Amino acid sequence: MVYTMLLYLALVVFGIGLLFKVAGWFRFNIGIYDPSLTVSVRIRAAIQGILSVIFSPKLATLIKVLVADVLFQNHLRRQDTLRWVMHMLIFAGFTFLFFMHALDKIIITSLFEKYYLALNPFLLVSGSMVLAGIAIAAYRRFILKVPRLKTNAMDAYVLIILAVILISGIAMELTKLSSYEHYQIFWDIHFLACMVGLAYLPFSKFLHVFTTPLSLLANAVMDANSHPANVKTRQIMELDACLHCTNCSKRCSVAAASDIIGNSNILPSERIAVLKEYVAYKEIGARGFAALQEGISLCTNCDRCTVICPAGINLRDLWFNAREEVLQREHAAPLVLTPFSFYRGLKRQEMTSDQYKQPLSNAVKDLTAPFERFSTGEVVPLGPQNSEFKKTAVLSGGTVTYAYCFTCENCSTVCPVVGNYEAPQQALDLLPHQIIRSLGFGLKDAALGARMLWYCLTCYQCQEHCPQGVKVTDIFYELKNLAVVEANQSSAQNGSESAAR
Amino acid sequence: MKFALFIGCNIPVRVPQYELSARTVLARLGIEIEDNPEFKCCGNPIRNIDQNTFLLMAARNLALAEKQGLDLMVLCMCCFGSLKKAAHVMRQLPSIREEMNGLLAKEGLHYSGKFAVKHLLSVLHHDLGIDALKEKCTKPFKTLKMATHYGCHALRPSDVTEFDNPVAPSIFDDLVTATGAKSVEWPLKLECCGAPLLGVNDDLSVELTRKKFADGRRAGGEYLCVACPYCHMQFDKVRQIMVSGQDTAPRMDSIVYPQLLGLAMGLERDALGMTLDIKEEVVAEPPAKPKKTAGRTKASATDVQPQE
Ligand code: SF4
Ligand code: SF4
Ligand code: SF4
Ligand code: SF4
Repeated sequence: MVYTMLLYLALVVFGIGLLFKVAGWFRFNIGIYDPSLTVSVRIRAAIQGILSVIFSPKLATLIKVLVADVLFQNHLRRQDTLRWVMHMLIFAGFTFLFFMHALDKIIITSLFEKYYLALNPFLLVSGSMVLAGIAIAAYRRFILKVPRLKTNAMDAYVLIILAVILISGIAMELTKLSSYEHYQIFWDIHFLACMVGLAYLPFSKFLHVFTTPLSLLANAVMDANSHPANVKTRQIMELDACLHCTNCSKRCSVAAASDIIGNSNILPSERIAVLKEYVAYKEIGARGFAALQEGISLCTNCDRCTVICPAGINLRDLWFNAREEVLQREHAAPLVLTPFSFYRGLKRQEMTSDQYKQPLSNAVKDLTAPFERFSTGEVVPLGPQNSEFKKTAVLSGGTVTYAYCFTCENCSTVCPVVGNYEAPQQALDLLPHQIIRSLGFGLKDAALGARMLWYCLTCYQCQEHCPQGVKVTDIFYELKNLAVVEANQSSAQNGSESAAR
Repeated sequence: MKFALFIGCNIPVRVPQYELSARTVLARLGIEIEDNPEFKCCGNPIRNIDQNTFLLMAARNLALAEKQGLDLMVLCMCCFGSLKKAAHVMRQLPSIREEMNGLLAKEGLHYSGKFAVKHLLSVLHHDLGIDALKEKCTKPFKTLKMATHYGCHALRPSDVTEFDNPVAPSIFDDLVTATGAKSVEWPLKLECCGAPLLGVNDDLSVELTRKKFADGRRAGGEYLCVACPYCHMQFDKVRQIMVSGQDTAPRMDSIVYPQLLGLAMGLERDALGMTLDIKEEVVAEPPAKPKKTAGRTKASATDVQPQE
């Protein structure tokens, strides 16, 4: 009786959880918000999409992917044999256990009247298979310390629940004949663990048993012509398809940046978890948001993660849409003013001109705020000399050369950016030689705040042509670095002020 | 002759014809390359934000090549400039090198600076030599005029990149001339393509590229010749922007150097990725048979081919 109630309870939690998840796929938004894509439009589009695939030649593709990638995980085998072995052991063992053991009353007994084995060898074999798979997973996560492979609480829970189910199950089988008491204890543990697993499934990465195949199948049949509503729905669903295998982070082009910047959102596998909370309207806080924005912006769009993801998640499009979403929501991180934005520039026709330009102009405004302070006085105050500042601006070799400048203006004369404007000072605030001189005078706000810094091509013409050997472009790089530090500090200050209020 | 090949982030996804043609040409020239899937971003894009992060990302790649025991051959000029800069800083400031090595130790890597960093063009020019190259060009161009685009980050700062004479460079011109094509003189030859500002200040970026197009055309160039994915993508993108904005100012197609070389060597067009090139003419109509039809005003890069 108690067991039956527990089973129903677990099933109810499971059912509600699943419904809740699926509803989220249609409710939540990612990327630039489109009010015409309401929940009902998205549900209808999904049904239409699915039907039109089933009754079309694409069905063959679907079946092919189902067999090759979902069942046999061909893409995984090509990438990483150990992980493939791990997956197949758990997958095959579990499938067998599920149908032959968990559902034995329904399936087996109806097939074979006298189905009873004192010591069921099949169960032991498949149980051991799953156990071996779990052992490999634990070995990878806890012993084989792959650099930056992160293990989160959910990874650990999932492994623990699985291990408890398996170990208690095997112990139960072994004690079946010898000791009824022990058998009963193991049975209870086994049953409880199964129920916990079942109830936890929709909320954990266990869910990938449904979502990963869905993602693989959806991506196999969807293309550029797919309904935009379906693309949104798929992208939300894909967030649930991630199994936190961290493969993407291992291959990620910019992973090493996280060693210094210390923001785990730089790693795609970690970012996806935060993104999932973010799209579900969970509170991630101003700091969490800034970290997410930095993580998404610090991406070279190299596609390596997309190629490697075993769940077939189209990370390329996910990052693009997520980047737009977080850039439109709040002032953008300084990262948008770097070549990391090149890809966004290539895709600029996919948004309106306002959507495209707003984050950029906001970022420039934030970073050049000091210059506003500097230039509002009618007479430009010469000094006071900020010798502290001059000292901070010598991060690496060569930067001290600003002191040799004799204001010949060569740098500004050869600069293609300066040359592009009729009235360069209006567009750029200061010309290159003026920035170098500001640095010499210790005029911090001027040196750090001029738009020229951010509109510099880093073409090194100025540096190459300086008769005094001033490392103009390198100095600009360092001034930009300092301006970023300053801007971050002042936004952190503003953040804590507004939090205090 | 053997190198570790550094492709960078952009080439495999956005300029695959560069990688394909480079591999084909190098194999034919007997230059061996070894891939290393562990190579990651060179660090260039983060230089605006944080110098140390940039240095670590670059140093990691340098250390990986050192582990392979090979000199690096780089295809992208921005990657090249970035790796050279990091090597230079770490040579000048041992304290920074030690700091980086401390961080690299976590991955079992170490950088001491024993191996060189070279751009593809330097390898072809210095390690292989123009004469050897000319010999291989069995189907040299006869009348083709190219506007050779040097690219900033390989050329400057010259004390760091050690690529060529920064005010009067010649190696790219020599390489183009070796294919039989003429490398025209054009005033903006050494100017920036504009790519570093695409996505940051597009009006400025596009304007700089337009100027280069106009200048190259005025000098009689039929195509731009590049050896950097950023320059190539920039030229492609700005042409696209101009076409969709009905801007009638002169435009130019660009072609990556190994494709030009490969054609002069008589190699298969497919092996050079000629059809992978996104050209406006190709976008507008199916790729025409590589044959100059009379009355066709605008030449397309897919039409570049050795003239008998
Ligand atoms: S596309 Fe971005 S997140 Fe993905 S591997 Fe490349 S840099 Fe990392
Ligand atoms: S590779 Fe795919 S499934 Fe694995 S952690 Fe990354 S996004 Fe998730
Ligand atoms: S070229 Fe050199 S010396 Fe002349 S103004 Fe510029 S930085 Fe100063
Ligand atoms: S590096 Fe910047 S400041 Fe110097 S010439 Fe080029 S665009 Fe001008």
